[in-house]
Amino acid sequence: MTMLTGRRVLLVEDESLVAMFAEDMLLDLGCEVVTAMRLEQGLTLARNEDFDFAVLDVNLGNTRSYPIADLLFERCIPFLFATGYGRQGLEAAYQAVPVLQKPYQADPLEHLLTRLLTCEAPAHKGASSVPATCRCQPAEAEQGRFRADPIR
Amino acid sequence: MPNSRQPLQSEPAAIRPLPTLRHAGQLFETERRLNAVLNNASVSIFLMDDRQHCIYMNRAAEELTGWTLDEVLARDCPLHDIVHHTYPDGRPFPLHECAIDRAFPENNQERGEEVFVHRDGHFYPVGFTASPIRDDAANIIGTIIEVRNISEEKAAAERQRLLINELNHRVKNTLATVQSIAAQTFRGRTDLAVRAVFDARMTALSTAHNVLVEDNWESASLISVIERSLAPHLLAEVDINRFRLDGPDARLHPKVAVTLAMALHELMTNAAKYGALSTGEGRVSVTWALSDLGGGQQQLDLTWQEQDGPPVAQPTRKGFGSRLIERQLPLEFDGSAVITYAPEGVVCAMRIPLTQLGWIGQETVEGSLAP
Repeated sequence: MTMLTGRRVLLVEDESLVAMFAEDMLLDLGCEVVTAMRLEQGLTLARNEDFDFAVLDVNLGNTRSYPIADLLFERCIPFLFATGYGRQGLEAAYQAVPVLQKPYQADPLEHLLTRLLTCEAPAHKGASSVPATCRCQPAEAEQGRFRADPIR
Repeated sequence: MPNSRQPLQSEPAAIRPLPTLRHAGQLFETERRLNAVLNNASVSIFLMDDRQHCIYMNRAAEELTGWTLDEVLARDCPLHDIVHHTYPDGRPFPLHECAIDRAFPENNQERGEEVFVHRDGHFYPVGFTASPIRDDAANIIGTIIEVRNISEEKAAAERQRLLINELNHRVKNTLATVQSIAAQTFRGRTDLAVRAVFDARMTALSTAHNVLVEDNWESASLISVIERSLAPHLLAEVDINRFRLDGPDARLHPKVAVTLAMALHELMTNAAKYGALSTGEGRVSVTWALSDLGGGQQQLDLTWQEQDGPPVAQPTRKGFGSRLIERQLPLEFDGSAVITYAPEGVVCAMRIPLTQLGWIGQETVEGSLAP
C-alpha cells in the first residue's frame, strides 16, 4: 500500500502504444486508470468525473491538452504534464505545472504523483514557477535521484 | 529573323497617338499613378521589345539586377546578355538556349525558374512569369516579364530537405538502437520466442515509418501501409495466393498509418501462429471502402477475414494485439474495431474516421482560421 493505491487517475495520451504503456505503469502503482486519447474525450471526463489527479500528454496530434488543463485548474484537480519536449515546450501560462519528461518511467512518475498529492499549494494558471511553499519540483531536477539498475 | 511585327520601342517613330486622346493633365496623372505602382511593387518588372531588348524596368528590377534602366538602354543589347549571360557553372549562356527568350512569342504565359547573374557577378535564383503584349490587331509586339528573387525560398527548401533527411536517419537509428538495447538487456534472460515477437513488432513499426518517409512525413498511402504490413518481410511482396486485397487508395495521417500498420501486424502474427496462415491452404482477404463523413472528412471501413484455415477457437486470454485493436484503436480515432473468432475464420472489422491531414497551426499560417 502506498499513497497512490486506489487513486483514480485521468490519463490523456494520444499514441495507442504509449497510452498502453503509461496505463500499465499507473495500474502497477495501484491506481484506477481512466484513459482518454482525444481532446474531446479528455474534456468530457475532466468536466464530469472525479479524479484524484491527472497525467496529461501535451501534444495530442492535431491539438494540445491545455483546455483540459484549464478545466482541471478550475476543479482544483492536481495534474502533471508528460512531454518529450520538457518544460521549455510548455506555454507560458502553464510553467508552474510539474513536468514528467517522456519517455514514461515508473520511478519519476511515482515520485511526482506522490508529491502532487502532498503538495500544499498546487500550481495555478499563469503562475510563473512552482510556488515556493510547494515541494513539487520539476521532474528534470529530480532525475538524478534515481539510480539505474546495477550492471550485472 | 524577318520582322513583320510592329516593334515595341521607345523610338519617336514608334510612338503614335493613343486611340483615345485624353487631356494632357489626365495623362500625366495616369502616368504618375502607374509609376507609383510600378516603383513600389516588390516584384521586378521588365518590359521587353521584340528583339528581347529591355525598354523599361521598375525600381525593384534595378535593385535585383544591379543595373539602372539608363545603363541597360545604353547597352543596346538583349537583356539576356546583361543579366543571364552565364550558367552558374561558368559556361556562357547563349540567348537561343534561354527559356525566357523562348517564351516570346509562342506561349501566352510562361513560368519557370532560372539563375540570373548580378552586376557584381554573383548568381541568384529567380522565378519568372513572361506574358506577351499584343497590339490592336492581336500581334505580339513584346513581352512583360515579372521576376522574383527566390534565394530565401530555395534556402528554406534546402534546410527542410536536410531536416527531413536527419529526421529519417534519427527515427530509423532510434528504432534500431531500441532493438539493440533490448537484445543486450534480455540476452540469456528471455525466451527466444518472446524476443522474436519483440523484434517483429519493432520491424513492423520501422516499416510503418518507411511509408511515412516516402511522403516527407505528411501522409502515407493506405495501399502501401496495407501491402507493407502483409508482406512477409521488408523486401518481399504480398503473397497473392494467400491474400486478396481490394479497396481504393487514400492518404493517411501519420498517426493513423502507424497504428493501422501495428494492428495489421498483430492480425498477421496471430494468423500465422493460429489462424489461416498457419496451414498451407488458408487465405486472408483484406477489403476496405471509404465513405464521406462530410466536411471533407472520410471514414475507412476495413475488414480482415480469414478462411480455409484450421477451426478457430476463442482465445483463452486477450493479449497485446486485441488490446491494441479493440480498445486503443477506437479510442485513438473515435472509431470502432471488433474481432470475431468465428469457427470458419477470424474476422476483424475496423471503422476509422480518418484524421484530416495537416499540422498544428496550419490553419493560422494559411489564414483560413483567425489566430
